Order: sequence, then structure tokens, then C-alpha cells
Amino acid sequence: MELRFFEIYRNPDYLWLLAEGVGKSAGLTLAGAVLGFILAVGLALARYENIPVLKWVAAAWVDFIRNTPLIVQLFFVAFGLPMLLGYVWPFWAHAVLALTINFSAYFAEILRAGFQTVDKGQKEAAMALGVGKMTRFVKIVLPQSIAQMFASLNSQFIFLFLTTGVISEIGVRDLTFAGLYIDSRTFRSFEVAITLTVLYILISLAFKGLMQVVETRAFRWKDAK
Amino acid sequence: MRDAFIAVLGKPEGIILFQLIEATQFTIYLSLIAFIGGGLIGALITLMRITKSKALRRIAVSYIWLFQSTPLLMMLFLTGLGVPRLLDIDVNPWTAAVVSLVIYSSAYLSDVWRGAVESIPKGQWEGAEALGLRFIPTLRLVIIPQALRIALAPTVGFMVQIIKGTSLAYIIGFHDLMAIGKRWANAPVDGSEPFIIFPIMALIYFALCYPLTLWSRHLEKRLGTIKEEVAPAPVAA
Repeated sequence: MELRFFEIYRNPDYLWLLAEGVGKSAGLTLAGAVLGFILAVGLALARYENIPVLKWVAAAWVDFIRNTPLIVQLFFVAFGLPMLLGYVWPFWAHAVLALTINFSAYFAEILRAGFQTVDKGQKEAAMALGVGKMTRFVKIVLPQSIAQMFASLNSQFIFLFLTTGVISEIGVRDLTFAGLYIDSRTFRSFEVAITLTVLYILISLAFKGLMQVVETRAFRWKDAK
Repeated sequence: MRDAFIAVLGKPEGIILFQLIEATQFTIYLSLIAFIGGGLIGALITLMRITKSKALRRIAVSYIWLFQSTPLLMMLFLTGLGVPRLLDIDVNPWTAAVVSLVIYSSAYLSDVWRGAVESIPKGQWEGAEALGLRFIPTLRLVIIPQALRIALAPTVGFMVQIIKGTSLAYIIGFHDLMAIGKRWANAPVDGSEPFIIFPIMALIYFALCYPLTLWSRHLEKRLGTIKEEVAPAPVAA
């Protein structure tokens, strides 16, 4: 038993690979989260506004995604769909699509609860003032729900981030991919795993910090009463 | 059994479906072991988290933080490849998968249970103390019966995360539904294309998970533990 971390750190190629992995993991997760959030708003809205048919589609979508593993969704998106529909995308695009689909279901469930927290009186007041349906949702319901649910959305995002290592399985050169590659060259599996774990935790902490900045900047109106 | 599948579905399809369902049993066993083991260790961590000893509390808090922040994939990688190579020992995939998933579930479960225990009003503790009950009897007779009500629905809900979590164990060579399905998806056999295999696998996982989700929702409603306007707890994915 001997720890030989230096075998990883002394090689600039490995360091570069790890840096690239950090960028890919963080970037693709962020992309998937943003797109997933937009999709989630639509899903939650369909149920909130009680739109016929669409609300059932949204409910089924959310339940199905939440009750199947990400990796199966990923493989279907990366290998099944392109074969079925005959398109060719780069690996990272498949990963973003799969993460978007996966994240949307988790965010939608939180947003749906968030919409319920907005007081009915506000809706009635807006209607009395002649504010249109769209404006009412975008300017009144949505911002307040997001502010209310920000902490939940945040920790959900971090939990989801920790599962994104599976995109290495379809060949995306993310952090896990970098680790597996370095491991296959050095056989220092333990050191590699510890290094990756620390990097994943650091990225989570960076995301948390970023979200805190967003929170203090975006929700100033909350305290202005 | 195998012949029955082949008789009904024909040659490749019958074999594929049979093998997938056969492999599902290992997904179920692994999930059950992870849940029971994780529950036991989780209970211990919860206990440490609520004792008066500052040192024990700190250990419990660190444990929960560390293993909630570590990706499950890294834990599998560490137990399945890292530790064996470091110590130059053989660890079979079963052991590695069980250890990883037990640690993973224990961290999340103890967090859920800590929340449940902490939601019991302070007066209950004080009342029990006034009656002369010590720490363990207070827990057993006063706190746990009430906390159980609150913890039951999220605990059942977490079983879904465990089942989904087992799908990663194939990476260290564990033979479960995921491993067999992936092998078939890679095989150049008509009827086992990725767009057929992966939806079937998704349906099998869904069939395992969805009843638990429904049960958890039912418990939430029946035990009245969910307040309409409270955010749903984020779940490990």
C-alpha cells in the first residue's frame, strides 16, 4: 500500500485532461440545467393552468423520468434515438439533451409546488387590473415561485450535478472520463477516485457560491416592501 | 420459464426479455441489501446526530455531508477499483456495490430521519425528561413513534433513488438488469437494437420504482405529513 498521487499531478497531459473535464462537466451540467429549467416551466405550467391533455402528458413525463435511472435515459437518447430517427450528433449534444430531459422532471415537480405558494388574491388583483394571462404568469406567478423555491431548486441542482458523471459512458470527455483515462494509464485507481471526488465537491461548492450571488442579485425586490 | 418466453415471443425476443427479467432479480437483491444496510447505519448516524455529545454530532454531520457530496459513481469506483488496487486485494463486484450503496443510502436516510426527529417539538423531550425518562427510553417511547409518521413517506420515496442508483453498479462489473441490457444493446442481433432494449429496461425500472412512488404519495396523504405549501424535498437522483 502506497499512495502515489504525484503520478497524476506531475504529468501535464493528465492535468490538462482534468481541467478539460472540470470545464465539460460544469458546462454541460449548466447547459442541461438551464434548458431543463425552461422545459420544467412549461411542464409545471401545463398542470398549473389545467390545460387539457397537456397536463396529463406533463404528469406522465415527470413520473416516468423520475422513476427511471438517468443512465438508461442517456443511453436511449445517445444510442436509441439517433438510430431510430437517423441523425448524427456529437457526444456532448446527446449528453445535453439527456440531462435536459432528466433535469426537467425534477425541476418541474418543485416549480409546481412553487406555483401553489403564490396567493390567489394576486391572480384576482391582476385580472381586475386587466393584466393578460401571459403577463400574469411571467411577471407575477413565475418570479415569486422561483424566489420561494430557490433553495430547493438549488440543492436539487447540486444533487443532479453529482449524477452527471454517467455522461462519460457515452464518450463525453467530462471529469469522470478524464479519471477513467488516467486510471487506465497509471493504474492509480484510488488516487484518481479521491482526486475526482474532491474536484466534484469543489465544483458543487462553486455552483453553490454562484447561486448565492444569483440569489442576492436577482431577488432584491423580495425585501423591498 | 425460458422456454415459455421463447414459445410466446420467438427466438431472439423471448431470450432477451427472459434474460432481462432474470437479471432484474439482482437489481432487486442489491436494492434490498442497500436499503436494509443503509437503514441500519443510517439509524446509527441519526442517533449520533441527536445525542448530547458534541464530538459524535460532529462526526455524524461530517459523515452526512461527505457522502451526500460524493457522487455514487465515485464511491463505486473507489470501492470497486481504488481500494482493491491500493491494498492489492480482490474485491468482488457484489461487495463493492453493496458497500457503496449502503454508505450512499445511509447518508441520505439519516438526513431524512434527522429532519423527522428534529421536527418533533422540544416540549416532547422536556416532558419525557420531567417524567424521569433517560435518552434511549425517551427516543423509544416518545420521539420515534412520532418521528416515524413523518419519516415514513420520504423513506419509502428514497427506495426509488436506491433502485435507480443500482443501475450504476454495472460499471464495476456487477451483473444486473443494466449490465445485461447494455450487453444486448451492443449485440448485433435483430430485435435488440438500442431503441428497443433501453425502453424495455426503462419500463422494468419503472415497474420497480413507480409502485414505491405511489405508496410514498399515499402515505404522505394518509399520514398528513405534507403541508400543501411546503417545497418538496430535493431528491438524490
